Parts: sequence; C-alpha cells; structure tokens
Amino acid sequence: MAPPEAFSLSQQTPVTCHAFNADRTQLAVSLNSSDVLIYAREGNDWKHIETLSEHDKPVTSIDWAPKSNRIVTSAQDRNAYVWQQTPDPQTGHLIWKPTLVLLRINRAATYVRWSPKEDKFAVASGARAIAICSFDPEGDWWVSRLLKKPIRSTVLSVDWHPNNVLLAAGSADMKARVFSAYIKDVDKRPGPSVWGEKLPFNTICGEYASPAGGWVHDVAFSPSGDVLAFASHDSSITVVYPGGPAVYSIKMSILPLVTLTWTTEESIVAAGHDCQPLVFAGNQGGWEIVGGLDDPQSNKASGGSRSGFGGASPVGRLNSAAFNTFRNAAERGISNVPGSPTASSSNESELYTVHQNTITSVRPYDGVPGNVTRVSTSGVDGKLVVWDVSAVTPISATGLAGKLGKMQLR
Amino acid sequence: MDVNFRKIDIDQYDEDALLDSELYEADPRDPAQALNDVKQKAASVRSSLAKGDIVGALTLVLEDAPYGPNLDDAKNLNLQTLVSILNSTKSSEIPGVIKALSTDAQDTLMKYLYKGMALPGWGDVSGSVLLGWHEKLTEVAGTGCIVRAMTDRRLV
Repeated sequence: MAPPEAFSLSQQTPVTCHAFNADRTQLAVSLNSSDVLIYAREGNDWKHIETLSEHDKPVTSIDWAPKSNRIVTSAQDRNAYVWQQTPDPQTGHLIWKPTLVLLRINRAATYVRWSPKEDKFAVASGARAIAICSFDPEGDWWVSRLLKKPIRSTVLSVDWHPNNVLLAAGSADMKARVFSAYIKDVDKRPGPSVWGEKLPFNTICGEYASPAGGWVHDVAFSPSGDVLAFASHDSSITVVYPGGPAVYSIKMSILPLVTLTWTTEESIVAAGHDCQPLVFAGNQGGWEIVGGLDDPQSNKASGGSRSGFGGASPVGRLNSAAFNTFRNAAERGISNVPGSPTASSSNESELYTVHQNTITSVRPYDGVPGNVTRVSTSGVDGKLVVWDVSAVTPISATGLAGKLGKMQLR
Repeated sequence: MDVNFRKIDIDQYDEDALLDSELYEADPRDPAQALNDVKQKAASVRSSLAKGDIVGALTLVLEDAPYGPNLDDAKNLNLQTLVSILNSTKSSEIPGVIKALSTDAQDTLMKYLYKGMALPGWGDVSGSVLLGWHEKLTEVAGTGCIVRAMTDRRLV
C-alpha cells in the first residue's frame, strides 16, 4: 500500500482540470485561467515547460488522446481547440499547434472528451447541447453535429461508451442520459448492446433522474459499457443496469460527490466536496460504499499539532474552524480580527485529508480499463494527487461510519 | 421556502424557457384528493400520538407528503400536523425517533424543518423546537440530508 503521491501545482489558484499523456511523463492542466499549462515529469516533481494560449476565457476541460497524442481543450469562450505537435518551420522544435473547432454553440463549452478510437470528441456546453466533432479531411477542419433533444439545461459532463458510438451525458436538468453519437462517415455500424440495436444519431438509449432532484455532475460507463454510474448534487451516487433493469442509488450523509471513475467492472472511485476519494463496490445485486483512499485518522495522528476540522466530528463539517469562529463570536463575544491572529490560526482551517478543498476531477492514472490500479485527482486546493486504488481504508476507520447512507433499490 | 427571489420574469422573453414542470414530476394527486389524504392522515396521527407512537405518527405524515404547486391547502395542513408531532415530542426522545425513520422520511422531515423555519410565528411553529430537531437530524443524517432538502424541487 503505497501512500498517495501529492503535488502542489499552485498555491493560490484551483486546478480546473488535468489530463496526462499516454506514458504519464507529461501533464496538461488549467489553473483557472485561459491558458493550458504543460508540465513534464522531472524526478519526483512536475516542471512547467510550455503554455498553450489561444482561448480568451477560462479553460473548462482538457483531454489528451493517448494514441494520437493530440490535446483537445474547451473553454468558456464557446470554443474548442485541437492541439497537435508539429515542427516549427523556423527552429525545427516541436510546438503545439491549435486548430479551431466549429462548435456552433452560443454558451460556454463545459466539458470535452475524446472517443475511444480518437476519431471523434464530444463537447458539452451550456447551450443545452453536446457537439459531436469529427474531422473533415476535405475542409481540413473539425466539424460538429449537435445533440440537442431532449436536453433542457447545461450539460456538465460526458463519457464515451467503449464502442465509440454511445455517449453518456450528465446535465443540470437533473438527468443522466445515454445518446447515440453515431456519425455515418466515421463510424461502422455498432453491434447490438444492452442500450439498443438500431442507433441513428441522437437516439435516446436511456434517461435517468437523480433520486432527490440534484443536477448530475458526472457520468461514467463501466469498462464493459453495460453499466452507467452518475453522481448528483443531492449527495447521491446512482448505478444503472439497463438490462436488469435495476437502478441502485446510494444516498450519502456527506457533501455531494462531483466526479467519479470506474476502476474495475465492479468498483468506482468518486470524490467531491468532502475532499477525499471514496470507493464504491457492487454488482447487479447491489452497491455499497466500502471505504476511502484517504485516511484522515492517521493523517491526524501524524500531524498531531494541527487543529480545526476533525475527521471524528459527529456532525461532519458543522464543527469546522469557520463554524467555531462564528460560534465564538456569537456565544463568547470573541472575534478573530484579521491581522491579530492567535497562535494556532495559521493552520486552523487545515483539513486532515490530503486534498484541502473540493476534488473536481478523478481520472484513471495507471492500468487498463477494467483494471485501473492508480487514479489521479485534482481540485480547488491546487493539488494533484495520485492514489493507489488498492489502498482502501475501511469506512469504519475513516470517521464516516454511520454517516454514509443506505442503499436503495428503485 | 420562498425561492422566487426574482421579481421580473425574464423568461417571458425566452421562447424556449426551462419550466419548473420539466425538472420534476408533479404530485399526481389533484388538490381535493391531496387535501383529503392529508385530513385522513391527521386523524390517524392524532390516534397514534394518543398511544405515544411518535415514530408511527411521523412516518405517516412524512409518507406521500404533498409537494409541488397548487396543493397549498394540503401542504399547510400537513405542516400543521407535523408541527403538532414535533412540539409534543420530549427532546430526549428525538434521537431515537429520528434513527427509526427511513432515509426518505428523514429527507422529507428536513424539508419540513426548513419550511417551518421560513414561516416564523405561523401556527404553532416554534423556532427553538425546529432547531432542536434540526440539530439531532443532522447528527443522524448528516449534511447530505441538508443538501438534498436544498436541491430537491419537490417542495413540501
């Protein structure tokens, strides 16, 4: 059980999103700005080597195609760019050259992912649409077709089915959906699956509402593509077996999860506002939470001088430093005026988790689909962390026991 | 909860405006039927309370609670019934009662607590009673329960 590798990419700004290249020697991130930064691995650290500047509003999502070594980025400026390494005509050095994608959307692009064969990508947007982009060799550009119906609000995430045709999307209209993104000139006719047989473009293969009306943050197909999981803002995670048909929802007593990834056909790692990755396991018979990858209790033991938020607090974050500050002010008339810090105030808000703020992205790092051995997470605290997925701390030890809700069959 | 904080209806200029009705399925009952259901429940709640069966009474009132638009009479009566249960429970019994409820009932109870807090002085609503229940409910059901009460558009 290797301890998690944590890298602090920035002190002040969040990491909006991250993507590794195929051999994990390079990393593309956006630090809440309109630039994409490329880092290279140097020993045990990451060194900034290049900046990709073309967007003029904050970048929202990055994906790095492992086989064709192309990067696709989306941003609030309603654009997406495909970046390809080409030799500079003057110096001969390899540089990343952007190609604009004709998205035809009138709101921010929110999320982008390459398809498994890397001949298409999907761009989610606030324009109640998903742009499915494919390369047009005649025009020498990327063209898009829009999936529109029946999306009623911003699409927050997408995930491709391994067959390169089906696409799952999570949206702020409280629904997770499965669409066909079949493009005649690009795709071969897909074989029948649990999601359907005939799949022309924009076929709705499934539509699932979150259990208590929370917008859907993230969706993911299982490695086989036969199961769909999504995390929603009602602090729940839902696993759908369309063939069963069975839908399992786990309502949790902690803050919502915002990102998830499958590690095997029967396990999921998910993370979000509670700052630690959690592990879920199950199969067609039912799903449950089995533990976390972080171990706040032992972190607390090793850093005994730290105060503030404790993993063992009975009411979760209600006992945080901020809460205590207000309570002291209200009950005892003690106010912590900025500029007159007390001895412990410098680390009062430090958490016992590795991430110090919301985790916004969890992605496979090591292994193959169906047997992912390590995952990477990035978040609002500016950190990038690589976790060993076998190093699961049981929930009884994470201080979350009894706080995580029960599974329900719908 | 009054969530209509916008005073100008900007959606009237949008042909393809997103309607509340598209975000959740409305309560299938018509207003008269919902009111009738709630009245019957109020009667059985009184008999449960007389027997001292608080868990039974709460489960009754939280199950199939009326929600959504056009059911204001039924919603108000159900809140009244619920408040009468909350007010008549000894504070030492609250944790046990909450633990005996299903997660769905706990979520619905949280919605009613917030609704009650938004109506100070309405009927028999007492802020200190509601806060007492809120504290105990959060200890059992966590912040996730609060998040669900806030995100769910099926307002009770």
